[in-house]
Amino acid sequence: MSPRPRPFLEPEYCKSCLRCIEACPRACITPGTVINPETGLIPVELHLENCNGCGLCMAACPEPFGLRPTTESFASVLDFELEDPAALFGPKIVPNYSEGDEPDETIPLPPCEPLVLKGSYASAIGALLAGCRHVFGYPITPSTEASELMAKILPKIGGHFIQAVSETAAVNMMYGAGGAGVPCITFTSGPGFSLMLEGISYMIGAEVPGVFVNLMRGGPGLGNLGPEQADIKLACRGLGHGNTHALVLAPSTPQEMLELTRQAFELSFLYRNPVVVLGDGYLGQMTGIVKLPAEMKRVGLPAWAVSGDRAHRHNLICSIELSEDDLEAHNRKLNDKYAYISAHEQRADCYRCADARQLVVACNTPARMAKGAIEDARALGYKAGLFRPITLWPFPIAALTTLLPHIDQLIIVEGSPGQLEDELRLALSHAGISPPPITHVRHYGGVLPSQEEILDCIRENTGGPV
Amino acid sequence: MSVFYNNFSRHAHGEGLKGHTTHYCAGCGHGVAHRDLAAVIDELALQDRVILVSPVGCAVFAHYYFNVGNTQAAHGRAPAVALGHKLAHPNAVVICYQGDGDLASIGLAETLSLAQMGLPITVIFINNAIYGMTGGQLAPTTLMGQKTTTSPEGRTLAMGQPLKMAELIATLDGPVYVERVALYDARQRRIARQAIKHALTLQQEGRGYAFIEILSECPTHLKLSPTESEKWVKEKMEPIYPLGVKKNKTGEPWFHPAPPRYIPEEILGLCGAERTRSAPPPCPWPAQLTARDLSFKFAGAGGDGAQTAALLLTRAAIEQGFDATNIPSYGPESRGGTSYADVHLAADEVLNPAAPEPDILIAFNSPSLAKFAPTVVTGGIILYDCTVIPAPRDLPANRRIFAVPFTQLARELGSPLVKNMVALGALQAVTELLPPLAILETMRHLLKDRPTWQPVNAAAFAAGQKAITLIAPDGR
Ligand code: SF4
Ligand code: SF4
Ligand code: SF4
Repeated sequence: MSPRPRPFLEPEYCKSCLRCIEACPRACITPGTVINPETGLIPVELHLENCNGCGLCMAACPEPFGLRPTTESFASVLDFELEDPAALFGPKIVPNYSEGDEPDETIPLPPCEPLVLKGSYASAIGALLAGCRHVFGYPITPSTEASELMAKILPKIGGHFIQAVSETAAVNMMYGAGGAGVPCITFTSGPGFSLMLEGISYMIGAEVPGVFVNLMRGGPGLGNLGPEQADIKLACRGLGHGNTHALVLAPSTPQEMLELTRQAFELSFLYRNPVVVLGDGYLGQMTGIVKLPAEMKRVGLPAWAVSGDRAHRHNLICSIELSEDDLEAHNRKLNDKYAYISAHEQRADCYRCADARQLVVACNTPARMAKGAIEDARALGYKAGLFRPITLWPFPIAALTTLLPHIDQLIIVEGSPGQLEDELRLALSHAGISPPPITHVRHYGGVLPSQEEILDCIRENTGGPV
Repeated sequence: MSVFYNNFSRHAHGEGLKGHTTHYCAGCGHGVAHRDLAAVIDELALQDRVILVSPVGCAVFAHYYFNVGNTQAAHGRAPAVALGHKLAHPNAVVICYQGDGDLASIGLAETLSLAQMGLPITVIFINNAIYGMTGGQLAPTTLMGQKTTTSPEGRTLAMGQPLKMAELIATLDGPVYVERVALYDARQRRIARQAIKHALTLQQEGRGYAFIEILSECPTHLKLSPTESEKWVKEKMEPIYPLGVKKNKTGEPWFHPAPPRYIPEEILGLCGAERTRSAPPPCPWPAQLTARDLSFKFAGAGGDGAQTAALLLTRAAIEQGFDATNIPSYGPESRGGTSYADVHLAADEVLNPAAPEPDILIAFNSPSLAKFAPTVVTGGIILYDCTVIPAPRDLPANRRIFAVPFTQLARELGSPLVKNMVALGALQAVTELLPPLAILETMRHLLKDRPTWQPVNAAAFAAGQKAITLIAPDGR
C-alpha cells in the first residue's frame, strides 16, 4: 500500500462525468466500456499500477461516494486490508444527540410601581420579560418606538437589535434565529407586515416560532398612519402562500400589549408556530397604566433547535418536501395542530354580557369605544353587552355560542370593511349556528368608530329600552 | 469523509442509489464544491459547530448530504437567515451557500447588507452563469451573448452586463476576505479548497465576513459535457470573472458578543420600573365632578410642549390611583404641523380613550384653538394662550373659556419652554382635579436626574395657578 491512499470506486455511484480522467496526471483512469446494470451508466475504470495516491482524481469527483480514498472503505473492494477502524481513527465518536428541551427558568420579579407606558413600549417590555433577546425590524410608523426601545436596551443585556435592510430580511433573520431556538420578535405595521408574509409562510412550514406585532394603520397601499384594523384578513386568512395559520392575539390596552406579547412567546414555542399580536395604530401610541408581572423568563433551548453544537447537529429547519406523500403528511400534521389550537386557545372577554340582548362585538381600541357606548346605553336602559375576541384566530366561537340564545342583535364594530365580521360569520357558519340579525358600525382609512356612533347603532337596532 | 451522511436518508428516504448519490447532474460543480467544503469542515474539526444555510436553487437539498446543522432558506434570504443563526449562537460556524440567482439577483439587498455588517459568516457563492433549478434562464452573471431560455438570442446590453460579485463585495468595508476561485482543473480546485479553509478559519477565530465566489460548471444548461464545461469556464468565464484574492484585510478577532443576561433588577431598571414605594394616600375622585371620566385635548404646534403636558397629567393621575390614557398624534403631522394629544382621566377605568369631543381643551396656538374649540362639549372648559392668540375669533358659546398668557409668563421666568407647565398650573387652578401638588411631584420625579430644571418648572406651574385667579373667565 502506498503511503497515500489510492482511490477506489463503487461503480454504481459513478455518474460517468469523466472529470476524474482530466484530473489524473498518470492516466490511471479511463472511460468505461461496460454499462452498469443498476444505473444504466458507464462508470470509469481504474488502472492503478502507476497511481501514486496524489488524490487529484478524488478532488475532481463531484460525488461524495464517487472516487474515495481506500481509507474510507472498511469492508469494501480493492486492495484494502480489513483493520479495526478504532486502530486507524481512534475511538468512534458517539453523537450525544439532544434528548429533550433544555427547560426555561422562571425568575421572580420584585414588586414594582405600575409603569405609565406607550403600548409599543409595553409590548417590547413584555418581550424582554418573556426572555426575548433577539429583535429584528425595520422602522415603520406607528410601531417604531418599540424597536427604538429594544435598540437601547438589548445591547446592555447581551441581546441584539438588528435594523434589517427590509422587512423581508427581518422576517428571515427571525427564521434563522427562531430556527436556532431563541425567542425573537419584530414590530411592524401593515406595509411591513405584507412584506413579511412570505417569510411567515416559511416559518409555519418549517415550524419556527416567532412573534409578530402588527400595529395596523390605514391602507391599502401606503395609506396613512391613522389606526385601522384592515389587516385582520391577512393575519387570520392570509399568512403567505400555502396552508398557513397562526394564533392572532388582539390587545385592547397597553397592559394587554405587555401581557399578550408575553403569552405570544409561550404559545409560539408551545406550538412551534409564529404568533401574531394584532393591534391598531392607537395601541402602539397610546399611553396608559401598565402593571408588571411577578416573574420573568430565562429561556432554555428546545431539542429541535439548529444551534451549532453536537447535541443538535442532526436537526434541520426546512420547509421543502419534494415527495407529495411527505408534504401531504406534513400538511395533515399542521392541520392537526391548527385544530388543536382552535379547540384549546380561544379567548374572549365579556363585558356586561350576562343579561345582554344587544351584543356588540369589537376588538382592539374599538372595543374600548364600544365599552363606553355600552355604559351609555345601559344608562339609557338598553341591555347592551360587549363581546371582545382576544384571539381573532381561532375566533372564540364557543364563548359566543353560549351567549347567543339571549341575543336579539349582533353589532360588529370595527375599523375595517368587515374583516372582523367575516371572521365571525365564518366561525358561526363552521359551527352550524344561524345567528341573530347582524349589523355593523365600520370606519376605514385611519378612523375608528366613535362611541356615539356605536350608541346610535345600539339605539337604532332595538325596539327601545327593555 | 464523515461530514457527509453515510446514507442520504433525506433524499427520497435514502432508498437504493439515492442513499449514496447526489441529486446533481453528472459533472455538476456543486458536487465538487460540496466535497471541498466537507473536506475543509473535516480538516478544521468544525462539524459539530457548522450550520449550513442552503439556498433555493440546485443546492436546495444540501441538507441531504451534509451531516451538520442545516437550515434551508427562502430564495435569496440565506444571508438574513445566517445572520439570525450567528446572533442566536455566536459560537456556531455559519456557512451561507448560495447560487447566482439567489445571491446576486433576488437576494442582492440581503447579500450586500450582510457583507457590510461584516459579522464572521462565510458565504460560498456558486457562480455558474445560469439558472439551474428553474431550467436554464438568464442569471445576473450570464455572459454577454450567452444564450439562455430567457435570452434566446444571447444576452444583450439591455439585459444588463454580467454582475461581478466578488469585485462588488470587495469594495465594501465590512468583509475581511474576498476571493474568486474555480474548479476547472486540479490547481484551481486546490486553490478553492484553501480559500474555503481560510474563510472558515477567519470565522472560527471571530475575525470577520468572508466571501468565496466559485466559478462552477452547469453542464446541463450549458449543453456541454462536463469536461467541455470545465473548458468553457476556463476560456469563457474566467476572462470576465478573473480569479484571485480581491480583498484581504484580516484584522484582530473582534466578534465576541456577551451572552444574554437575565437579571431582574437590571431589566427593571432599564424599563424604568421602580420598586413599590409606600402606598400613597388614597385620593378620592374630585367631589365636584359628576362625570366619572374626563377627556382632555392638548393642542399646539410641534415644540409647544403639548405632548409633555399631556403625559405629565396622565402620569400624575395614574400615580394618584386613577386610570388615565394618553393618545398623542404621531407621524409626519406631529413634526411641524399641529401636535395634539387626547387624554382621559377616570375614577375607575378609562373606557374610550379617544377625545373627539373633549371636556377640556388646552390650546397653545391659534389654529389649534380654531380647530378644536367647536368640538368641546357644551359646558366644557377651554384654556388658551392669550400671548399668541390675543384676539380669538368665533369661540363657541356655552363653554367656560380662560385666557392665560402661557408664553408671556414663561418668558418672564426666562424660559419659554416651560409654557406647558404654566398651562398645567392654570388647568389645576381651574379644575382642582388632582391634589394641588400631584403634578409637581410627578414633574420632580421625571426630572430627578436634572434637578436644576425643577425650580423653573415649579415656578411656571405656580405662575399658571396664579394667573387663573387674575384673569376672569371669558364669559360669553
Ligand atoms: S490518486 Fe492521483 S495518480 Fe492515482 S488515480 Fe487518482 S489522480 Fe491518478
Ligand atoms: S469524477 Fe466521479 S462521477 Fe465523474 S466519472 Fe469520475 S468517478 Fe465517476
Ligand atoms: S442544473 Fe446545472 S447547476 Fe443544477 S444540478 Fe444540474 S448541472 Fe448542476
